[in-house]
Amino acid sequence: MKQLPTKVPLFLAILLFIGGCGKKEQPTPAEENELITTVRLKFTENGTTNTQTFQWKDLDGDGGNAPTITSIVLRASRTYKLDVEFLDESSTPAVNKTADIQSEADKHLIAFTPIPSSLFTYTAGDKDSRNFPLGLTGTVITSFTNMGTLRVQLRHQPPINGQPVKNGTITPGSDDVNVTFSITVAP
Amino acid sequence: MNRWLLLGVLLLGGLGTHSLFAQSLTDCHCLIKGVVKDRETRQPIAGAVLILKETGRNATTDAQGQYKIEQLCQGTYVLECRIVGYKVIKTTISLQHSAEEDINLNEDEVHLQDVEIVARRIQAPLTQKSTVLQGQALEQTRGQTLGDALKQITGVTVLQTGASISKPVIHGLHSNRVLIMNNGIRQEGQQWGSEHAPEIDPFIAKRMTVVKGAAGVRYGSDAIGGVILVEPEELPKNGKINGELNTAAFSNARMGVVSGTLQGGIPKWEGFGWRIQGTLKNGGNIRTPDYFLANTGIQEQNFSVTAGYRTGKVGVEAFYSQFQTNVGIFSGSHIGSTSDLLNVIKNGEPFIKVDFNRQIERPNQLISHNLLKIKTFRNFNGNRLNLIVGRQYNRRAEYDLHGPQATTNPALLFRLTTFTGDLTFEHKPIASKVNGQVGLSGLYQYNFTDGRPLIPDFEQKNLGLFLIERVVHQKWEWEAGVRYDWRKLDVFQFIGTTLDPRLHYFGSWSGTSGVVHTAREGLSFRVNFGTAWRPPNPSELYSKGVHHGAAAYEEGDDQLKPEVAYNLIGSVDYTHKRFRAELGVYRNLIQNFIYLKPQAEPILTIRGAFPYFKNVQTQAVFTGIDVDTEWEIITNKLIHTQKLAYLRAYDLRQNNYLVLIPANRLESGLRWQLGKALKCDNTYFSLNHLWVDRQRRVPPNSDFMEPPAAYHLWSVVAGGDLPLSKGKVLQWSITVQNLFDTAYRDYLNRFRYYAIEQGRNSSVRLKWSF
Repeated sequence: MKQLPTKVPLFLAILLFIGGCGKKEQPTPAEENELITTVRLKFTENGTTNTQTFQWKDLDGDGGNAPTITSIVLRASRTYKLDVEFLDESSTPAVNKTADIQSEADKHLIAFTPIPSSLFTYTAGDKDSRNFPLGLTGTVITSFTNMGTLRVQLRHQPPINGQPVKNGTITPGSDDVNVTFSITVAP
Repeated sequence: MNRWLLLGVLLLGGLGTHSLFAQSLTDCHCLIKGVVKDRETRQPIAGAVLILKETGRNATTDAQGQYKIEQLCQGTYVLECRIVGYKVIKTTISLQHSAEEDINLNEDEVHLQDVEIVARRIQAPLTQKSTVLQGQALEQTRGQTLGDALKQITGVTVLQTGASISKPVIHGLHSNRVLIMNNGIRQEGQQWGSEHAPEIDPFIAKRMTVVKGAAGVRYGSDAIGGVILVEPEELPKNGKINGELNTAAFSNARMGVVSGTLQGGIPKWEGFGWRIQGTLKNGGNIRTPDYFLANTGIQEQNFSVTAGYRTGKVGVEAFYSQFQTNVGIFSGSHIGSTSDLLNVIKNGEPFIKVDFNRQIERPNQLISHNLLKIKTFRNFNGNRLNLIVGRQYNRRAEYDLHGPQATTNPALLFRLTTFTGDLTFEHKPIASKVNGQVGLSGLYQYNFTDGRPLIPDFEQKNLGLFLIERVVHQKWEWEAGVRYDWRKLDVFQFIGTTLDPRLHYFGSWSGTSGVVHTAREGLSFRVNFGTAWRPPNPSELYSKGVHHGAAAYEEGDDQLKPEVAYNLIGSVDYTHKRFRAELGVYRNLIQNFIYLKPQAEPILTIRGAFPYFKNVQTQAVFTGIDVDTEWEIITNKLIHTQKLAYLRAYDLRQNNYLVLIPANRLESGLRWQLGKALKCDNTYFSLNHLWVDRQRRVPPNSDFMEPPAAYHLWSVVAGGDLPLSKGKVLQWSITVQNLFDTAYRDYLNRFRYYAIEQGRNSSVRLKWSF
């Protein structure tokens, strides 16, 4: 009958510790895969080449310093072309995410909600492969002088279990961006 | 007198003395003798007390573990063996003359019974209330997660993130406040996260023990609410190959689970044993009474290998296990902003309803956990030296749904490596009364976080030293212990790309003292006062960011101090004829209790405003009662059981209740033991009712939604043993949970905001042992 020398198990145990403590990798700064820090709204009045840019910017991401938001000022009873850009400016050079969203148009929808709703009407100028709007470019027709807020949402609406859920409304999916600007429609 | 009997035997010779002795009604020269051994090491146990319940006669084993009880009358007796630190053993002994009985003419005695008793050592503290889940009760949980299997124990509930992810909650405490010992090794796997379920395959266990209350002295930090011991069977001793195959099929999620074990030895090498075990699980979308939950499938593949060799003096065992799972996270729960959350709460149900599907897409969790453990012991002069070393690697990848992203990268990846070492010395009984152990524990751990920097990279070193002593004297058992723990935490935080390292030192004493008193047959009392501590984890110190699914911005505080718990727990066990009751009362005072406190102003992020929570410390007290009763209405035929749990958790500084505390609950069961029926043995049928109250004890305006209403759940179980050829047996059971497909929500389920709970779930379980 074989008898294991008692030194063997202790030796194995020590070996386990030493073997485990080999070269270890060094800590590296983490990088967030997808981060949108900036929402840029560009209003170009019809018939002119004047472009006004308003930004919602939170460079250091969630928390830290508060975001900087520029207030929107538009003229009443005008028609504007509205272009939206999404950027990641947390590092240099800045990364423009707009092209990514464009390429995944079937899974995204940009919604504009003015409060009160009488501030202006919006019509999207672009469509995805299923003929639903995307919202990266569109038309804004302002009505009378007023003040309020404008909520801009980038909805992420990927298919679930292979079935597309995007239906042109903001109901399906979840927010990737949900920012609020203050807006004045001046005379 | 003995000489006359001897003469009688000689005279009758080969005629068969059977009838003669059987007619001798006043024959009281029988004796019971034998040896008491430890089940695992086969070493004799000195100081074991053996009691014959019918007569009250008793004996104590000597240094060789031998005992003898003489001058007994013929009859049937129940022999009870009690040893400090071991499970109580009861055997029935029949002192009747039988045809096979040898009469040894060299001895004076006749009617001799040599009874070897093999006792199982228990790892749980002696004077604390602990409940064991094994045998048929454990078999009925097969296929469920570890948390779900344990929730049948009074005082234990689950914290869920949907039905696939559940974490055990002991007396209202969970995550970092409940320690799980996986086959003797501390389970380390980002347990601070409420949606991080323990990465353990319940099939490796033959026994699960829940120790309620602070058990810091024996196990170290984190054992504030209790300890869960997941223990496999000892390795086989003989060379025969045997095993078992378990299958479970569930109607809800159309889930199938299969698990097999094969074990044996090597015929020429006595003392060697091996075991291999594997489990596969596959389920699809979970069904609620009204709709399916999209993307709630689960796939799991686990296996484990054990090999060991032991003699009476020494033993060594190696164990390796691998756990892998892909868990789908309900798409309807992955909201982007507070307005998303408020919209779905207002809607009352998910916006998107789907059909059944097994496909798991994003969002999902992909987790693997490997454990390598080597255990060795050495006996010398009645003392025992144990060494357990282990290495575990936990890889947790969480795939998010949000943002334009590379489809192969997880949003969050944790890689945690932990080395543990435990050296314990159990000294031989001092004065045959005092048993105890002294131990040294070490832990070395390092973590890497890739993707979103939810918690930083860190390195941790722990060292602990403890001493526990137990004394048994007549009807009293005393226990006392003390421990000191020390921890060094190196944190590698980055501000942008610049390294900002931090260093933390933590240290604390823990103590325990308790007593068990057996007042008389059927009445015993148990009281324990214990302390435990818990240093803040890296998430509580350094987290900073939005917690998706919780719709909250959470921030850590690197100035947090360790929590210290002072727990007083007492219980009474009463047995009288066909009625048994257990009443447990506890009060757990936790100093520096860390929790997330909502701040006045929300935090504005790219996804809108989120409620802002900061990790703060307060003084909390948890008070509760657990009651278990069992009444054999008709002996061995009809049994009624009742379980009641009451818990009140209070924040002494804020003068308000704590959030996310389980509500009161009452569970009743009625069980018919039909014996032989339908060609099966041990058939039974049971009916169960669970009532969970609405949690009324919450601070106002502390949640997005009021705690859900109270609910009633019914379930039935039927089972039996079907005899097969060659003496084999197929154990079967059919269970229907949520019999009436009740629609309800549970306060401790994160998904209560988004959907109702699982509907009816019918399951069939088969176990074939060969």
